[in-house]
Amino acid sequence: MRKKFSWLILVAMILTLLPVGVTAAPPQQDGGTAYTIQADDWLSKLADKEYGDPLAYPAIVYYTNLKAAADDSFNEIDNPDLVEVGWVIYLPSNDEATAFLTDTGSVAGGTFIFGRGGDSVQLDPAIVTDGESFRVTGQCLEPLYQYEPGSTKPIPALATKCTANENSTEWTCALRQGVKFHDGTPFNADAVLFNFDRWKFTDNPYHFASQVFEYYEYMWFGFDDDSIISSVEKVDDYTVKFVLKEPLAPFLANLAMDIFAISSPAAIEKYGENYGLPEAGCVGTGPFKFVEWVEGDHITVAANKDYWGGPPTIDEIVFRVIPDDSARFLALKSGDIHGLEQATAEDIAAAEADPNLYVKARPALNTAYLAFHYKIKELQDPNVRKAIAHAINRQGLTKNFFGAYGEVATNFLPPLVWGHNEAIPGWTYDPELSKKLLADAGYPDGLSEVTIAEDIMDAEGNVVYKAGDKMPLKLYYLPITRFYHPSPKEIGEAQAADLTRAGINVQLELAGDWPTYLGLRRNGLLVGLYQLGWGGDNGDPDNFLNYFFGGLSSADAVKEPDPREGFYANQEVARLLYQAAINPDQAERQAIYEKVEQLLYDDTARLWMAHNNTPLLFSKKISGYVPQPVGADYFEGVVIAK
Amino acid sequence: MTRYLLQRLISLIPTLLGVTVVIFLLLRLIPGDPAVAMLGEHAAQENVERIRAQFGLNRPLFLDPAALENNDFAGFFDSQYLRFLYRLGQGDLGNSIHRRIPIADELKQRFPATVELSLFAMALAVAIGIPAGIVSAARRNSIWDGISMVGSLIGVSMPIFWLGLMLIMLFAVLLNWFPIGGRLDHDTKLTVITNFFLIDSLITANLPALWDTLKHLIMPAIALATIPMAIIARMTRSSMLEVLHADYIRTAHAKGLSERAVLIQHALKNAFLPVITIIGLQTGILLAGAILTETIFAWPGIGKWVYDAILGRDYPVVQGGTFLIALVFVLVNLLVDLSYAYLDPRIHYD
Repeated sequence: MRKKFSWLILVAMILTLLPVGVTAAPPQQDGGTAYTIQADDWLSKLADKEYGDPLAYPAIVYYTNLKAAADDSFNEIDNPDLVEVGWVIYLPSNDEATAFLTDTGSVAGGTFIFGRGGDSVQLDPAIVTDGESFRVTGQCLEPLYQYEPGSTKPIPALATKCTANENSTEWTCALRQGVKFHDGTPFNADAVLFNFDRWKFTDNPYHFASQVFEYYEYMWFGFDDDSIISSVEKVDDYTVKFVLKEPLAPFLANLAMDIFAISSPAAIEKYGENYGLPEAGCVGTGPFKFVEWVEGDHITVAANKDYWGGPPTIDEIVFRVIPDDSARFLALKSGDIHGLEQATAEDIAAAEADPNLYVKARPALNTAYLAFHYKIKELQDPNVRKAIAHAINRQGLTKNFFGAYGEVATNFLPPLVWGHNEAIPGWTYDPELSKKLLADAGYPDGLSEVTIAEDIMDAEGNVVYKAGDKMPLKLYYLPITRFYHPSPKEIGEAQAADLTRAGINVQLELAGDWPTYLGLRRNGLLVGLYQLGWGGDNGDPDNFLNYFFGGLSSADAVKEPDPREGFYANQEVARLLYQAAINPDQAERQAIYEKVEQLLYDDTARLWMAHNNTPLLFSKKISGYVPQPVGADYFEGVVIAK
Repeated sequence: MTRYLLQRLISLIPTLLGVTVVIFLLLRLIPGDPAVAMLGEHAAQENVERIRAQFGLNRPLFLDPAALENNDFAGFFDSQYLRFLYRLGQGDLGNSIHRRIPIADELKQRFPATVELSLFAMALAVAIGIPAGIVSAARRNSIWDGISMVGSLIGVSMPIFWLGLMLIMLFAVLLNWFPIGGRLDHDTKLTVITNFFLIDSLITANLPALWDTLKHLIMPAIALATIPMAIIARMTRSSMLEVLHADYIRTAHAKGLSERAVLIQHALKNAFLPVITIIGLQTGILLAGAILTETIFAWPGIGKWVYDAILGRDYPVVQGGTFLIALVFVLVNLLVDLSYAYLDPRIHYD
């Protein structure tokens, strides 16, 4: 089928070389047919069926929209990824499709330019934590597992299958054969061992003293002998075995993180400490090869024609840095870039109204919340916490400030993560109920002053708040917008206004800039209610719940109140989370997480606000872009119409 | 003259030393920890401690009296500030905490970008500001005077972020004359030698790159030039007006010199002292203050870089970047002082 279409492309290429007059506008003779969209239809599938090539679908879009302009019985296609059952579209004849593709040039190929707010820090993913680095390294490097496009499910990548032994302490991974790194060296068990040894052993010659490897330490519980991975062994050239000290349920989810993508050992040996810097870039097995990095300006990667999964449709991706949100949007409007992430609410609305642009939301793997400080006597009473939860109009806030892309949160886990408990209804907005709950708790006249229950100390051990001190109830708002939390100040004001209606008076507080805020939170010094949130690292529920409410090192360990979490401690929750973390059975784990969510909800441990599906803006020339909830986005299927 | 120059250069040492203390101290007065800033919501205790140790952030700021009690003299002096100063003395600005690479490497790219933009903007400001000031002074209260003075008032009052976005809107989005931002199109090839793209494209005789560089420079340079242009125009005008009333101008007129000769040779040269002082100061301000322009026009210079480093508490980057800006500021003003002797023969430096 593919062959049949390749002559069309050849003709198209020859014709584009001819003088302009020859390649006139596509002839509009009829010959195609009207077609009604059925369930499970999508345009590239139809194009494949009709013309033998899925990439011919822009011809369907073009002719359908042409028809729709003149004839109401046809539907207009705004977004090639979104056609609905029952729509009437026009399938052009083979001649018409050829004529269209001839005129527009081949649909395959081209340079996709993506605009972003900041530059990558480094292109060695093992030593960075920022999304802008992973956005690029995710194109040239691949881990053993990866996340299924559009989801958080780990699926094989450089490994073809990893299987665990009975008690999940040993994972044996079969590696994909015949894969080569971009520098021509082979990918095999030695390459996997080289990378894991480099990350794990602090005395490894390539574990440079200047580099931190913070995510290895964080996901695998430390370096050297501390690491939960006691060894990575080579079974044969294409099989490796991971031996764990104890079972680790999210093993595959961890393995799939961009951080643990496999780099070419030869490249690391060649560039040493400079691997990942502009002179070296990233050298892996991915669908795109690193080309150049002009710092603060752009990074270019080019299609890897020898990619084991088949070459990507586009020739090149350019990641351009345009720090100013408005300027970046103007660049999209002017056609300087084809897509962008991070836009103001006004620009998102403008993009929705613009006939040349469309918005695509990244599925939310994040949760914005309002936390309670548990060394405040009043907040130790679950009725007071519940009163606060029912006082805030979360539906209204989400609609007004998160826009069409926000969802009201009922759980800490976003709906796309398994373990999310559907049965939890979420707190209703009910100021009268709040007042009643407050009265029941002994505050019939409302609440505006609170009492410190125990001494609160700073990192040096100095008492900052003394037990018995009275102070106004504060609501700390985030000093910056985070991907999970737009307009923190405005949301804080709305939260405060809602609370006032239920008789709870809070004092809005700006506690310094972002690093200051993080520092205060870490030391348990945001004494009151405070805004924060979380974005998942690997799509596993453990990465949400255990990090915040668990962290036990054994089943019978005691959960100590953690200053970082406002001194919240729930022994039962922590114990359950420990059980889930070492249980290899996903169904059993799911039941545990659902139970944990229920316990946290019943306790009103924290007020879950919303999940933010962050919008990405694109030119209508672009289709096939898959935003990922976790990990780097997939660019392999991007098609640029001329 | 040589002696004066030497004196001035020596006096730079305490100035710059003072600069290092101020930069170093002010930076650490802001609460917030680089390791926490780097790790964000994730910051686990062990991670933070290890990163702090790795970058010497667990050392005392100036001296360590505790080490002295153990007779550890090296430890006594092993402080964050002295480490910084010691490295600086060796010409090493240190490594970025976030990127873990030498700051000098990044400055090599970013500083020329800022200098190129600032000098181009300053050239624009001088080329328009001085003639406008002269015309206003010579034709005082004329329509030209009105236009240039109202124009310069608007120039001073216009916020750069607004002007920048308007320029982009008009010339890049609607008219499509200039690119939206950056220094060079991603597909323009240029062999980089000095990192000044105008110079690089000239010495490699790369005309497409030269044209592309100019196209990228023009809008940010206009946005950056408006304020100094207006200040220079107003300063030139008032300084010229003062000089035009002097006796020697009347004498020059009496000698029968042409209006042009009087204005340029006699009046302007004497009116130039305050103007050149302003140009010097403004050049320094442009170098240090191009943050907004660099942000809006995606210009990969040092302004935005240092600003982000402050937000991320990347101490070495802020220290290195600010020190370099301070150094250039001081040197530009030294040049201005030296130019006085040329402009006004009555001034001698011995």
